[in-house]
Amino acid sequence: MIAKFQFSNPILRAIRSALIALAAICLPVSGNAFATQSDTHEYQLKNGLRLIVRQDHRAPTVVHMVWYRAGSMDEVNGKTGVAHVLEHMMFKGTKTVKSGEFSRMVAAVGGRENAFTARDFTGYFQQIEKSKLAEVMRLEADRMANLQFSDEEFGRELQVVMEERRLRTEDNPSSLMRELLMATAFMSSPYRHPIIGWMNDLQNMQPADARQWYRDWYAPNNAVVVVAGDVNPLAVKALVEKYYGPISAKKLPERKPQLEPEQKGEKRAVLKAPAESPQIMMAWKVPKLDPKKMDEVDPYALLVLSAVLSGHDNSRLNRELVRNQRLANSTGASYELISRGPELFVIGATAAKGQTVQDLERGIMKTLGDIANQGVTESELKRIKAQLLASQVYKRDSIFAQAMEIGSSEMANVSWRDLDRIIERIQLIQSDQIQRAINTYFVSDGLTIVTLDPQPRSMLAKPRGMSGSLRH
Amino acid sequence: MQRNHHLIKGLIVLIATFIAAHAQAVLPIQAIPLSNGTKAYLIQTNAIPMVDIEISIDAGSRYDPKDQSGLASLTAALLTRGIQWQGGFLNEAQQADAIAELGASISASASGERAIVRARSLSKPDIFDPLLQLLVASVSKPIFDASILMREKQRVSAAIQEGDTKPEVVLQKRFRQEVFGNYPLARSPNIESIAAIKEGDLKRFHQNFYRQDRVIVNIVGNVDPARAKQIAEQIITALPAKGPVIPALPSLERSPIEPESKRLIRIPFQTQQTHIAMGMTAITRDNPDYFPLLVGNYVLGGGGFVSRLVGEVRDKRGFAYSVFSYFQPGRDTGTFEAGLQTRNDQADQALNVLQETIARFIEDGPSDAELAAAKANLINGYPLRLDSNRKLLDNLSAITWNQLPLNTLDVWTQQVAAVKKDDVRNAFKRHLDMRRMISVLVGGTP
Repeated sequence: MIAKFQFSNPILRAIRSALIALAAICLPVSGNAFATQSDTHEYQLKNGLRLIVRQDHRAPTVVHMVWYRAGSMDEVNGKTGVAHVLEHMMFKGTKTVKSGEFSRMVAAVGGRENAFTARDFTGYFQQIEKSKLAEVMRLEADRMANLQFSDEEFGRELQVVMEERRLRTEDNPSSLMRELLMATAFMSSPYRHPIIGWMNDLQNMQPADARQWYRDWYAPNNAVVVVAGDVNPLAVKALVEKYYGPISAKKLPERKPQLEPEQKGEKRAVLKAPAESPQIMMAWKVPKLDPKKMDEVDPYALLVLSAVLSGHDNSRLNRELVRNQRLANSTGASYELISRGPELFVIGATAAKGQTVQDLERGIMKTLGDIANQGVTESELKRIKAQLLASQVYKRDSIFAQAMEIGSSEMANVSWRDLDRIIERIQLIQSDQIQRAINTYFVSDGLTIVTLDPQPRSMLAKPRGMSGSLRH
Repeated sequence: MQRNHHLIKGLIVLIATFIAAHAQAVLPIQAIPLSNGTKAYLIQTNAIPMVDIEISIDAGSRYDPKDQSGLASLTAALLTRGIQWQGGFLNEAQQADAIAELGASISASASGERAIVRARSLSKPDIFDPLLQLLVASVSKPIFDASILMREKQRVSAAIQEGDTKPEVVLQKRFRQEVFGNYPLARSPNIESIAAIKEGDLKRFHQNFYRQDRVIVNIVGNVDPARAKQIAEQIITALPAKGPVIPALPSLERSPIEPESKRLIRIPFQTQQTHIAMGMTAITRDNPDYFPLLVGNYVLGGGGFVSRLVGEVRDKRGFAYSVFSYFQPGRDTGTFEAGLQTRNDQADQALNVLQETIARFIEDGPSDAELAAAKANLINGYPLRLDSNRKLLDNLSAITWNQLPLNTLDVWTQQVAAVKKDDVRNAFKRHLDMRRMISVLVGGTP
């Protein structure tokens, strides 16, 4: 488990969209069955550390998370992947805890643990029976300040990370496509780099790079602790003061804006990789939710649009492209409302037999055009709202998901206190607002298209040059 | 997340049940007697106004006719692609919209041993009652539309072809083929077997297998026993009482002792990594050695970051991101599998470490410290196995499908605590044997 999984983009997307679907709401679904706001408490320590506690007493378990506002978007060229590499190194010991001991101690108390690196943040968590909270918090606070690893250990773990990249990306055409999409859509924003880093940067990464990253960003004033479960907020606050309180605040490095220049024309790229069916990904530059302008309608309209397009079995893309026209075998749309960096609205599809990526592109544009011209129906909006409301109840089934929602929003400077308002606003979106959003943002000058040109994956390993020259 | 995936597989193994390790009252499993003499099962939880229902049907892909591999899966998939409804029918779009309008979900799929239909809904009657109607119709009155079947066959065929380009898929297909031998689960769907499936086959398969004596209903959530009985009765009585005699499946034969040349299979493949799986047949869930194997496998390759395999393969040598082992015990079948993925040029070294680590563990078993650590984790972590309705349903489903005693929950931690070092060693020696273990390697030749 300590795999220290990385939020590769699709996973992050899935989680982010789930988070949106999971966000809190006050609309009356079933009387006072839930009241998450009043069950949530926030505190701040003198050293700048913020603590958010959500009480949920359904089972005698707790999740403890620490979130650092430092992800791949804070990296610089030549050292991409360092946020994720450091995440792996965080399990390699401190001044007082030997390498591997952290995991052994968490395991001994019956805990489950892992970590995740994303573009916007890095997070660590333990799930435990509630009486073990102090033990895991002591360990987590210790490695916030006292990480220590040898060069040799770094070298071995770097090999593991490169295996991770081979597994997740090098041999995975969908991941390669997503990597190409981001690198093509963004010119200067650090979002253009993969979270796991470019292979060449990994090959050249030094222990000092990881240590510098740790010194720069791992500080109480750059962190939020989220505790959710069968706990008493004041008791948790006392524990946090005891373990995290003595750690000194640091002066954080200056964050340069690194704003993406305006896109002035359509971009296209082709990936050749072993696969069977052609695929397409179309991405438009769109706004995200600005925490200072929560009343702006467009981000909410885009979120509802993504649900109209791919929110359930009979939503537009699946109905039109997969079922009615038989252009595609699968489709999907994604949009993240909440993030630190620039946002994309992405639509993807895999071609059905005999169909080309041009057919898919036309089909996708036609589906968007239909909505732009005729709007969405009342029944579509009604379904989306019903799903959104029900999801507010379902989300209470997972303490972990509740903590993820709080932490990831906070990392993008969206307070957990605003999550209710966000859901309320989503509920208010009407057809004309979606139409306007399409007309405003789905323009070719802001569009990036990546297609997959499938190559045969030979069962017999041939010399690389030969298979290439034979094909063309 | 990859490692989490394996963790989840490990949990399937561990899924066994629950008990109050910390003096918390365990939510009891209630057996609900039904009018046809069968039972349904309920865990009542009132904290959240929602209900989860699972219907397990003894209609898994092991019943696929030899030349129609994929039939059970397609049958399950078409349950949500159009149904008879109130004298008429709902097409797939109407069925999907009706479910979405309730903010609910219904999903259906078939695995090796069984088909599973799951529904999640709010429990208030104006939502739940119509959802139950839709669920009943989905299970009992699918229409198996010919044109939709044709489309789904195309999609499945495309997915099979896509899978043939993926090392992990090629690996698992071949591994199943080798390990399951003459048992039907050795087969995987292919283009020809999918093409051979016709509308009438689905109707017949559904008629023959989706029936009262092959179905278990599990319910978790805000429902009392009386209502649970009504729910289960509605589902059960919508299905035929019985059907033709289903011919018995061949029993799963223990993996034979083979010479090394037959136990090592290499499939050259254009990838940067070689994917490795090794394993053999093992135990069913009701085997008395279940707990010694559970505890032992935690030490070997199931215990996440602290397992021996992770220590040897990942931490000491940096060979792999993911390395694991697990038992997958079912009602009638069971396997053991270990695996990893590594750079092609070190695949043989990694395979050696994998084999040596497993062989040594079979021979020596765990140390005292390892055994204690495994038991501490399993017992202390017990509450995490039942802290959501979703997990409760997973546990309930495993217990009722595998026909375990309903008090399995109450004795789980005791059974873990009772495991001794020799129990683990003896159980591993009894059920695993390196001379019987197949290793499959898919990847580029170094």
